[in-house]
Amino acid sequence: MRLLILALLVSGSGAGAETLTRAEGLAAWERIYAVASHPRCTNCHVGAQEVPMWDGLSYGAGAKHGMAIRADDSRIGAESVPCRTCHVTAAGRDVASPAAPQIDEAWRLPPVALDWLGKDSASLCVQLRDPELNDGHDIADLVAHLETSAFVAWGFAPGNGRSVPAGSVAQIAADVEMWGSAGAPCQ
Amino acid sequence: MKLTVNGKEHEVDVEDDMPLLWVLRDELGITGPKYGCGIAQCGACTVHVDGISVRSCQLAAADVDGEITTIEGLGTPDAMHAVQAAWTEHQVAQCGYCQSGQIMQAASFLDLNPTPSDDQIDAAMSGNLCRCGTYPRIRAAVKTAASRLQGA
Repeated sequence: MRLLILALLVSGSGAGAETLTRAEGLAAWERIYAVASHPRCTNCHVGAQEVPMWDGLSYGAGAKHGMAIRADDSRIGAESVPCRTCHVTAAGRDVASPAAPQIDEAWRLPPVALDWLGKDSASLCVQLRDPELNDGHDIADLVAHLETSAFVAWGFAPGNGRSVPAGSVAQIAADVEMWGSAGAPCQ
Repeated sequence: MKLTVNGKEHEVDVEDDMPLLWVLRDELGITGPKYGCGIAQCGACTVHVDGISVRSCQLAAADVDGEITTIEGLGTPDAMHAVQAAWTEHQVAQCGYCQSGQIMQAASFLDLNPTPSDDQIDAAMSGNLCRCGTYPRIRAAVKTAASRLQGA
């Protein structure tokens, strides 16, 4: 059903938007929150604390990145240890789980404003639907991030026994699109 | 493939995924960088790629995208890098196994952050382990090197 609705939206008929109910939007948001609150997302979306998290990696709940790593103002650790000292920018090298993941994009933390760690569903929902609270990103920007970011792609296939959120890049992107089309309801 | 190490170009015949550390030590005989853990947890293998500290055990040979500097290319006994001079002055090394990585990390750090706070020094050096526990001397030497590089 979701795919059918999306197909209608993509076809440009415009009529599809009205077919999405608030309930469908809320259901989509629940699936979005399940992913956005997963450690694969929140380990980097840490906000002003600057220290990446190591949740969901068998170090126990609330574990922070080892070695006193912090992103600093640069968000790439340039003031202390650059992310790239260990996180090599390269595609397709699935390194052993205690070692630093490698992706084909420069490892870094998101901007401070994209602060998700520890937020409940209602708070994160209000933040994500309002570009003023979300570093200027509207729904289309969120979908683009999900569809094109090497971080997101890696998050759904981190390998080596790392925990994985439910779904896929395509599903989370479709859910965000649905949620937006339903008016981005939060409750 | 071609690799430039300490200003000299080398042609090496290795698998794409051979870690740079293996290339340096086993293929080129450059043994300053040390093997400690193989998973970027200890820092003993630290070298520079275009001046940035890199754990050479994590970097596949085919992914090297710049000029490599090892401890052998950082300074010489007659013209030591400020970090090496401070290391000698503070007599930092005990067994010495980690010091190549420590010095390369500190040199890159001070290049990127010439006026570090004490807190930033501690953070920058926390990824380099020393099983002899010479951390107080490491910290003192990095502070001395930072002062020298600032011309203080």
